[in-house]
Amino acid sequence: MTIQYTVASERHTASERHTASGEVSTADRAVAEEQVLGEVAALLRDVIGEEYVVDLEITMTTSFNTDLELESIEFVTLADRMRERYGETVDFVGFLSDMGVDEVINMQVGQVVAFITDCLLEPKGAQS
Amino acid sequence: MAEILANGVRLHVQRLSPSGGPRPDSPLVVMVHGMVMDNISSFYFSLGNSLAHAGADVICYDLRGHGRSERTPDGYGLANAMADLSAMLGAVGVDRPVHLVGNSYGATMALSYGLEFTDRVASLTLIEPPFLIEGLGAEMARSLAQVLVGLSDAEVEQWLEHSAGRAVTRIARSAQSLLRDTSIADDMLATEPFSPERLAQLDVPVLAIYGANSDIIDQAEGLAKLVPRCTLIVLEHHTHAVLREASDYLRTLMRWWLFQRDTPVPPYTRMPGRAFATPDWVTRMIPPSDLNSPGKVDSRVNGADLGTSP
Repeated sequence: MTIQYTVASERHTASERHTASGEVSTADRAVAEEQVLGEVAALLRDVIGEEYVVDLEITMTTSFNTDLELESIEFVTLADRMRERYGETVDFVGFLSDMGVDEVINMQVGQVVAFITDCLLEPKGAQS
Repeated sequence: MAEILANGVRLHVQRLSPSGGPRPDSPLVVMVHGMVMDNISSFYFSLGNSLAHAGADVICYDLRGHGRSERTPDGYGLANAMADLSAMLGAVGVDRPVHLVGNSYGATMALSYGLEFTDRVASLTLIEPPFLIEGLGAEMARSLAQVLVGLSDAEVEQWLEHSAGRAVTRIARSAQSLLRDTSIADDMLATEPFSPERLAQLDVPVLAIYGANSDIIDQAEGLAKLVPRCTLIVLEHHTHAVLREASDYLRTLMRWWLFQRDTPVPPYTRMPGRAFATPDWVTRMIPPSDLNSPGKVDSRVNGADLGTSP
């Protein structure tokens, strides 16, 4: 099964994964997270643009700081690229609003992926 | 939004908006970072997203030669920086006064902009501005010389080459290139001092923030005395890097400044155990053993031949 909801025009398919009670099954969430991880990893490789990252496995526990040695301005670019990709469905401004630069850079990739997935799977009408 | 052509220079710009987009009455906030070892990311993470989330329409950008903006061989004087800012604001369609927020050199530039284009500015927030009536250019060139000295040290070079890590090394290499390959140091040296007469006529609300342990804290009172509508905040236990050190409080303070200025200034409560005495940007860049040796730095400042006194 492939869930394609990462392009703005197809975003509606995420909410179609909800059950009648509004819940998303664990299996569906896992699939969604894997999809988002792949997309974020591709954006990261593009933003970093160096040879060392081409074959580097990027997982949910990969650290932006210790594993990827990401420069803070590269995270700015990454956030911009993610915003382009996911549109207003994902509120990156809200996500980053309470974090300092050290907190951001010390995050694991999985924290960003989980946030994006949460936003994409949030039932229609529940988003502020 | 990412790249804007302004004043003939490609500038990297990020516009941050509250969820659902800015409202017509959202304060428009423009943030100007510091020189050489700084870029868009300092404001983006400390205040940009936070104030946008609180309802402001925020524009952060990289100054020319910094971050992801174009590195021109020359054109690093205050007049160039102000022309870049005006052109950038025009290019993104700004047609009302902005709340200008600057850090370090960016604050000095913001003050100059407020003096030159008062009708385009709703307020000024100046975080640690180098502010001198006499010798401002020499002071800024001296700061650059210190950075160049640190980056030219053989031990630092070894450290960058072998153990500093990718992120720090990239920042340091970029700074080295900016200092060595452009006219920025000469342009800074040519900075005109502020005119006391013009400062006395500045009819814009000004919020000035300094760290009590900053190496330029002695410049704070002069600014507050000369600028008529100035609110001066001095934070105990903080340094020139107060934006990074006290970003939580500065978020609260800026929300007050933009949205609730008719209420009392929010009190500052220091986090237990958090006290700063050495400039953070320095410690991040250069091994402390080289930093804390004033004699060594001073001698190399002369060696950097920027025509400044140690």
